[in-house]
Amino acid sequence: MSARDKPDEVDPVVAIYPRALPQVHGYLLPRCGSASVAEDLTAETFMAAVTANRRENPPVLTVAWLIGVARHKLVDHWRRVGREERGVAVAEGGCDGVDDPWPSHLDTEAAYAALAKLSAPHRSALTLRYLDGLPVAEVAAMLGRSVHATETLLMRAKAALRRVYREGEGS
Amino acid sequence: MSDPIDPLDHLRLPIVPVEPRAGFAAALLRRIEDQEEPASPRGATVRYFVDDLDAAVDFYRDLLGFEEELRPSPAFAMLYRGDLRLLLSVPGEPHAMPDGTFPEPGGWNRISLHVAELDAIVADLRDRGARFRNDISVGVGVRQVLVLDPAGNLIELFEPLAGYHERATSPVR
Repeated sequence: MSARDKPDEVDPVVAIYPRALPQVHGYLLPRCGSASVAEDLTAETFMAAVTANRRENPPVLTVAWLIGVARHKLVDHWRRVGREERGVAVAEGGCDGVDDPWPSHLDTEAAYAALAKLSAPHRSALTLRYLDGLPVAEVAAMLGRSVHATETLLMRAKAALRRVYREGEGS
Repeated sequence: MSDPIDPLDHLRLPIVPVEPRAGFAAALLRRIEDQEEPASPRGATVRYFVDDLDAAVDFYRDLLGFEEELRPSPAFAMLYRGDLRLLLSVPGEPHAMPDGTFPEPGGWNRISLHVAELDAIVADLRDRGARFRNDISVGVGVRQVLVLDPAGNLIELFEPLAGYHERATSPVR
Protein backbone atom coordinates (compact mmCIF):
# COMPACT_ATOMS: atom_id res chain seq x y z
CA MET A 1 0.00 0.00 0.00
CA SER A 2 1.11 3.53 -0.65
CA ALA A 3 1.02 6.65 1.46
CA ARG A 4 -2.32 7.66 0.00
CA ASP A 5 -3.90 4.66 1.70
CA LYS A 6 -3.25 6.04 5.17
CA PRO A 7 -6.49 6.45 7.10
CA ASP A 8 -8.09 9.56 5.70
CA GLU A 9 -9.58 10.86 8.91
CA VAL A 10 -10.21 14.57 8.43
CA ASP A 11 -8.49 16.81 10.93
CA PRO A 12 -11.25 18.49 13.01
CA VAL A 13 -9.69 21.93 12.56
CA VAL A 14 -9.60 21.45 8.80
CA ALA A 15 -13.18 20.16 8.88
CA ILE A 16 -14.60 23.18 10.70
CA TYR A 17 -12.38 25.72 8.91
CA PRO A 18 -14.63 26.68 5.94
CA ARG A 19 -17.62 27.28 8.23
CA ALA A 20 -15.75 28.90 11.12
CA LEU A 21 -13.35 31.15 9.23
CA PRO A 22 -15.88 33.88 8.25
CA GLN A 23 -17.37 33.77 11.75
CA VAL A 24 -14.05 34.19 13.56
CA HIS A 25 -12.91 36.85 11.12
CA GLY A 26 -16.35 38.52 11.29
CA TYR A 27 -16.06 38.62 15.08
CA LEU A 28 -12.55 40.09 15.10
CA LEU A 29 -12.64 42.58 12.23
CA PRO A 30 -15.15 45.15 13.57
CA ARG A 31 -13.79 44.84 17.11
CA CYS A 32 -10.14 45.44 16.36
CA GLY A 33 -10.80 47.85 13.51
CA SER A 34 -7.77 46.80 11.47
CA ALA A 35 -7.77 44.31 8.62
CA SER A 36 -4.19 43.23 9.23
CA VAL A 37 -4.67 42.81 13.00
CA ALA A 38 -7.90 40.88 12.32
CA GLU A 39 -6.00 38.51 10.01
CA ASP A 40 -3.20 38.02 12.53
CA LEU A 41 -5.64 37.25 15.34
CA THR A 42 -7.72 34.97 13.10
CA ALA A 43 -4.59 32.97 12.27
CA GLU A 44 -3.58 32.84 15.96
CA THR A 45 -7.06 31.56 16.84
CA PHE A 46 -6.95 28.66 14.38
CA MET A 47 -3.37 27.74 15.26
CA ALA A 48 -4.45 27.64 18.93
CA ALA A 49 -7.17 25.19 17.87
CA VAL A 50 -4.55 22.99 16.18
CA THR A 51 -2.51 22.96 19.39
CA ALA A 52 -5.56 22.30 21.58
CA ASN A 53 -6.60 19.46 19.29
CA ARG A 54 -3.34 17.66 20.04
CA ARG A 55 -3.95 17.56 23.78
CA GLU A 56 -4.85 14.35 25.53
CA ASN A 57 -8.46 15.49 25.96
CA PRO A 58 -9.04 17.85 23.06
CA PRO A 59 -11.99 20.25 23.23
CA VAL A 60 -15.04 19.68 21.07
CA LEU A 61 -14.33 22.10 18.25
CA THR A 62 -17.27 24.41 17.62
CA VAL A 63 -17.61 27.90 16.22
CA ALA A 64 -18.52 29.09 19.73
CA TRP A 65 -15.30 27.59 21.13
CA LEU A 66 -13.27 29.33 18.41
CA ILE A 67 -15.01 32.67 19.09
CA GLY A 68 -14.08 32.26 22.75
CA VAL A 69 -10.43 31.75 21.75
CA ALA A 70 -10.64 34.74 19.38
CA ARG A 71 -11.92 36.86 22.27
CA HIS A 72 -8.88 35.86 24.35
CA LYS A 73 -6.59 36.69 21.43
CA LEU A 74 -8.25 40.11 21.15
CA VAL A 75 -7.74 40.79 24.86
CA ASP A 76 -4.09 39.68 24.56
CA HIS A 77 -3.70 42.03 21.60
CA TRP A 78 -5.03 44.97 23.58
CA ARG A 79 -2.80 44.04 26.48
CA ARG A 80 0.22 44.32 24.16
CA VAL A 81 -1.08 47.60 22.74
CA GLY A 82 -1.66 48.82 26.30
CA ARG A 83 1.97 48.14 27.18
CA GLU A 84 3.10 50.12 24.14
CA GLU A 85 0.75 52.96 25.01
CA ARG A 86 2.29 53.31 28.43
CA GLY A 87 4.49 56.35 28.46
CA VAL A 88 2.39 57.90 25.75
CA ALA A 89 0.02 60.30 27.49
CA VAL A 90 -3.47 58.92 27.14
CA ALA A 91 -6.29 61.08 28.39
CA GLU A 92 -8.24 58.76 30.66
CA GLY A 93 -9.31 60.44 33.88
CA GLY A 94 -11.19 63.57 34.56
CA CYS A 95 -14.80 62.53 34.40
CA ASP A 96 -15.09 60.30 37.44
CA GLY A 97 -18.24 60.89 39.36
CA VAL A 98 -19.54 63.50 36.98
CA ASP A 99 -23.09 62.65 36.03
CA ASP A 100 -23.01 63.22 32.30
CA PRO A 101 -26.09 61.46 30.93
CA TRP A 102 -26.09 59.77 27.54
CA PRO A 103 -28.47 61.16 24.93
CA SER A 104 -31.77 59.29 24.72
CA HIS A 105 -30.91 58.17 21.19
CA LEU A 106 -27.42 56.72 21.02
CA ASP A 107 -25.73 57.02 17.62
CA THR A 108 -24.12 53.57 17.68
CA GLU A 109 -21.79 54.23 14.73
CA ALA A 110 -20.48 57.36 16.44
CA ALA A 111 -20.12 55.39 19.67
CA TYR A 112 -18.08 52.65 17.90
CA ALA A 113 -15.89 55.37 16.36
CA ALA A 114 -15.39 56.93 19.80
CA LEU A 115 -14.59 53.50 21.28
CA ALA A 116 -11.80 53.05 18.72
CA LYS A 117 -10.11 56.17 20.09
CA LEU A 118 -9.96 54.98 23.69
CA SER A 119 -6.95 53.45 25.45
CA ALA A 120 -6.50 49.69 25.15
CA PRO A 121 -7.76 48.82 28.68
CA HIS A 122 -10.90 50.93 28.24
CA ARG A 123 -11.54 49.59 24.78
CA SER A 124 -11.07 46.06 25.92
CA ALA A 125 -13.40 46.38 28.93
CA LEU A 126 -16.18 48.11 26.98
CA THR A 127 -15.95 45.69 24.04
CA LEU A 128 -16.29 42.65 26.28
CA ARG A 129 -19.05 44.18 28.38
CA TYR A 130 -21.19 45.83 25.70
CA LEU A 131 -20.30 44.62 22.19
CA ASP A 132 -20.02 41.01 23.37
CA GLY A 133 -22.57 41.41 26.17
CA LEU A 134 -20.55 39.52 28.78
CA PRO A 135 -21.53 39.83 32.45
CA VAL A 136 -19.12 41.90 34.57
CA ALA A 137 -17.78 38.77 36.29
CA GLU A 138 -16.78 37.26 32.94
CA VAL A 139 -15.20 40.52 31.81
CA ALA A 140 -13.21 40.49 35.06
CA ALA A 141 -12.06 36.91 34.43
CA MET A 142 -11.03 37.70 30.86
CA LEU A 143 -9.05 40.75 31.96
CA GLY A 144 -7.53 39.02 34.99
CA ARG A 145 -8.91 41.64 37.38
CA SER A 146 -11.20 41.48 40.38
CA VAL A 147 -14.88 42.21 39.86
CA HIS A 148 -14.55 45.35 41.91
CA ALA A 149 -11.57 46.60 39.89
CA THR A 150 -13.44 45.77 36.70
CA GLU A 151 -16.49 47.75 37.80
CA THR A 152 -14.22 50.73 38.45
CA LEU A 153 -12.48 50.26 35.08
CA LEU A 154 -15.84 50.08 33.31
CA MET A 155 -17.04 53.23 35.05
CA ARG A 156 -13.93 55.11 33.96
CA ALA A 157 -14.09 53.64 30.46
CA LYS A 158 -17.71 54.72 30.07
CA ALA A 159 -16.81 58.23 31.22
CA ALA A 160 -13.97 58.33 28.68
CA LEU A 161 -16.26 57.06 25.96
CA ARG A 162 -18.88 59.64 26.88
CA ARG A 163 -16.28 62.39 26.61
CA VAL A 164 -14.97 61.31 23.21
CA TYR A 165 -18.52 60.71 21.97
CA ARG A 166 -19.50 64.23 23.08
CA GLU A 167 -16.52 65.70 21.22
CA GLY A 168 -17.75 63.88 18.11
CA GLU A 169 -21.25 65.28 18.62
CA GLY A 170 -19.84 68.80 18.58
CA SER A 171 -18.11 68.39 15.26
CA MET B 1 -25.67 42.36 37.38
CA SER B 2 -26.37 44.46 34.31
CA ASP B 3 -28.20 47.71 34.49
CA PRO B 4 -31.35 47.19 32.43
CA ILE B 5 -31.43 50.81 31.33
CA ASP B 6 -27.72 51.09 30.54
CA PRO B 7 -27.73 53.04 27.25
CA LEU B 8 -24.55 51.28 26.15
CA ASP B 9 -26.47 47.99 25.93
CA HIS B 10 -27.39 49.26 22.46
CA LEU B 11 -23.77 48.71 21.44
CA ARG B 12 -24.23 44.92 21.33
CA LEU B 13 -22.56 43.77 18.13
CA PRO B 14 -23.78 40.42 16.75
CA ILE B 15 -21.29 38.44 14.71
CA VAL B 16 -21.77 39.00 10.99
CA PRO B 17 -19.65 36.54 9.00
CA VAL B 18 -16.96 38.24 6.92
CA GLU B 19 -14.92 36.24 4.43
CA PRO B 20 -11.27 37.25 4.67
CA ARG B 21 -9.08 37.69 1.59
CA ALA B 22 -8.92 34.47 -0.43
CA GLY B 23 -5.12 34.48 -0.31
CA PHE B 24 -5.13 34.74 3.47
CA ALA B 25 -7.73 31.98 3.82
CA ALA B 26 -5.74 29.60 1.60
CA ALA B 27 -2.42 30.36 3.32
CA LEU B 28 -3.91 29.77 6.78
CA LEU B 29 -5.44 26.47 5.69
CA ARG B 30 -2.01 25.32 4.47
CA ARG B 31 -0.50 26.30 7.82
CA ILE B 32 -3.15 24.26 9.64
CA GLU B 33 -2.67 21.23 7.39
CA ASP B 34 1.11 21.39 7.79
CA GLN B 35 0.67 21.11 11.54
CA GLU B 36 -1.33 17.90 11.35
CA GLU B 37 0.31 15.01 13.08
CA PRO B 38 0.87 11.89 11.00
CA ALA B 39 -0.13 9.61 13.85
CA SER B 40 -1.57 10.20 17.25
CA PRO B 41 -1.67 7.99 20.34
CA ARG B 42 -5.42 8.35 20.72
CA GLY B 43 -6.57 5.39 18.63
CA ALA B 44 -7.45 1.83 19.52
CA THR B 45 -5.01 -0.96 20.35
CA VAL B 46 -5.62 -4.49 19.06
CA ARG B 47 -3.58 -7.61 19.86
CA TYR B 48 -3.23 -10.47 17.39
CA PHE B 49 -1.55 -13.76 18.20
CA VAL B 50 0.83 -15.10 15.56
CA ASP B 51 3.08 -18.15 15.34
CA ASP B 52 5.83 -16.58 13.22
CA LEU B 53 6.60 -13.03 14.33
CA ASP B 54 8.96 -12.18 11.46
CA ALA B 55 6.50 -13.33 8.82
CA ALA B 56 3.68 -11.42 10.50
CA VAL B 57 5.65 -8.16 10.82
CA ASP B 58 6.73 -8.42 7.18
CA PHE B 59 3.12 -8.97 6.13
CA TYR B 60 1.60 -6.06 8.05
CA ARG B 61 4.46 -3.71 7.17
CA ASP B 62 5.05 -4.56 3.53
CA LEU B 63 1.56 -5.49 2.37
CA LEU B 64 -0.79 -3.46 4.56
CA GLY B 65 1.23 -0.30 5.12
CA PHE B 66 1.80 -0.62 8.88
CA GLU B 67 4.84 0.99 10.44
CA GLU B 68 6.99 -1.10 12.75
CA GLU B 69 7.39 0.72 16.05
CA LEU B 70 9.04 -1.83 18.35
CA ARG B 71 10.26 -5.41 18.26
CA PRO B 72 11.84 -5.78 21.70
CA SER B 73 11.74 -9.58 21.79
CA PRO B 74 11.28 -12.52 19.41
CA ALA B 75 7.74 -12.86 20.74
CA PHE B 76 6.40 -9.34 20.53
CA ALA B 77 6.11 -6.45 18.07
CA MET B 78 4.21 -3.17 17.99
CA LEU B 79 3.02 -1.63 14.74
CA TYR B 80 0.99 1.42 13.81
CA ARG B 81 -1.32 2.27 10.98
CA GLY B 82 -2.51 5.83 11.57
CA ASP B 83 -4.33 5.80 14.91
CA LEU B 84 -4.48 2.00 15.11
CA ARG B 85 -1.84 0.30 17.25
CA LEU B 86 -1.42 -3.38 16.49
CA LEU B 87 0.35 -5.66 18.97
CA LEU B 88 1.63 -8.97 17.66
CA SER B 89 2.39 -11.67 20.21
CA VAL B 90 3.71 -15.19 19.87
CA PRO B 91 1.76 -17.26 22.45
CA GLY B 92 3.95 -18.33 25.37
CA GLU B 93 3.95 -18.87 29.11
CA PRO B 94 2.90 -15.31 30.00
CA HIS B 95 -0.29 -15.84 28.01
CA ALA B 96 -1.27 -19.13 29.65
CA MET B 97 -4.74 -19.16 31.17
CA PRO B 98 -5.39 -20.66 34.61
CA ASP B 99 -6.97 -23.70 32.98
CA GLY B 100 -3.81 -24.33 30.98
CA THR B 101 -5.03 -23.15 27.58
CA PHE B 102 -3.01 -20.80 25.38
CA PRO B 103 -4.30 -18.19 22.97
CA GLU B 104 -3.91 -19.12 19.35
CA PRO B 105 -4.12 -17.28 16.04
CA GLY B 106 -7.25 -17.25 13.94
CA GLY B 107 -10.90 -16.91 14.71
CA TRP B 108 -13.48 -14.71 13.06
CA ASN B 109 -13.00 -11.36 14.82
CA ARG B 110 -10.89 -8.94 12.82
CA ILE B 111 -9.65 -5.45 12.43
CA SER B 112 -11.29 -3.54 9.63
CA LEU B 113 -9.22 -1.21 7.48
CA HIS B 114 -10.65 1.54 5.31
CA VAL B 115 -8.91 1.59 1.94
CA ALA B 116 -9.29 3.54 -1.25
CA GLU B 117 -9.67 1.59 -4.52
CA LEU B 118 -10.32 -1.84 -3.07
CA ASP B 119 -10.09 -3.67 -6.42
CA ALA B 120 -6.61 -2.33 -7.15
CA ILE B 121 -5.39 -3.15 -3.67
CA VAL B 122 -6.75 -6.69 -3.76
CA ALA B 123 -5.12 -7.29 -7.14
CA ASP B 124 -1.84 -5.92 -5.82
CA LEU B 125 -1.97 -8.06 -2.67
CA ARG B 126 -2.76 -11.20 -4.69
CA ASP B 127 0.24 -10.50 -6.91
CA ARG B 128 2.38 -10.27 -3.81
CA GLY B 129 1.23 -13.61 -2.47
CA ALA B 130 -1.40 -12.62 0.09
CA ARG B 131 -4.00 -15.25 0.94
CA PHE B 132 -7.67 -14.27 0.84
CA ARG B 133 -10.51 -15.97 2.71
CA ASN B 134 -13.11 -14.85 0.16
CA ASP B 135 -13.69 -12.63 -2.86
CA ILE B 136 -14.87 -9.05 -2.66
CA SER B 137 -18.45 -8.95 -1.42
CA VAL B 138 -20.99 -6.16 -1.06
CA GLY B 139 -22.28 -5.48 2.43
CA VAL B 140 -24.35 -2.66 3.91
CA GLY B 141 -22.67 0.56 2.82
CA VAL B 142 -19.37 -1.13 1.98
CA ARG B 143 -17.54 -3.49 -0.36
CA GLN B 144 -15.24 -5.72 1.60
CA VAL B 145 -12.87 -8.65 1.48
CA LEU B 146 -11.10 -10.80 4.07
CA VAL B 147 -7.36 -11.24 3.81
CA LEU B 148 -5.38 -13.63 6.04
CA ASP B 149 -2.12 -12.84 7.74
CA PRO B 150 0.54 -15.58 7.68
CA ALA B 151 -0.75 -16.95 10.99
CA GLY B 152 -4.34 -17.13 9.77
CA ASN B 153 -5.76 -14.02 11.46
CA LEU B 154 -8.33 -12.15 9.41
CA ILE B 155 -8.10 -8.54 8.29
CA GLU B 156 -11.11 -6.96 6.67
CA LEU B 157 -10.44 -4.42 3.94
CA PHE B 158 -13.36 -2.22 2.96
CA GLU B 159 -14.24 0.72 0.79
CA PRO B 160 -17.37 2.81 1.35
CA LEU B 161 -20.45 2.69 -0.86
CA ALA B 162 -23.49 4.99 -0.88
CA GLY B 163 -25.07 4.97 2.58
CA TYR B 164 -21.77 4.42 4.35
CA HIS B 165 -21.66 6.11 7.72
CA GLU B 166 -18.82 7.14 9.97
CA ARG B 167 -18.68 9.85 12.61
CA ALA B 168 -17.17 12.89 10.91
CA THR B 169 -14.98 13.90 13.84
CA SER B 170 -14.19 12.22 17.14
CA PRO B 171 -15.27 14.52 19.95
CA VAL B 172 -14.75 11.84 22.61
CA ARG B 173 -11.36 10.22 22.56
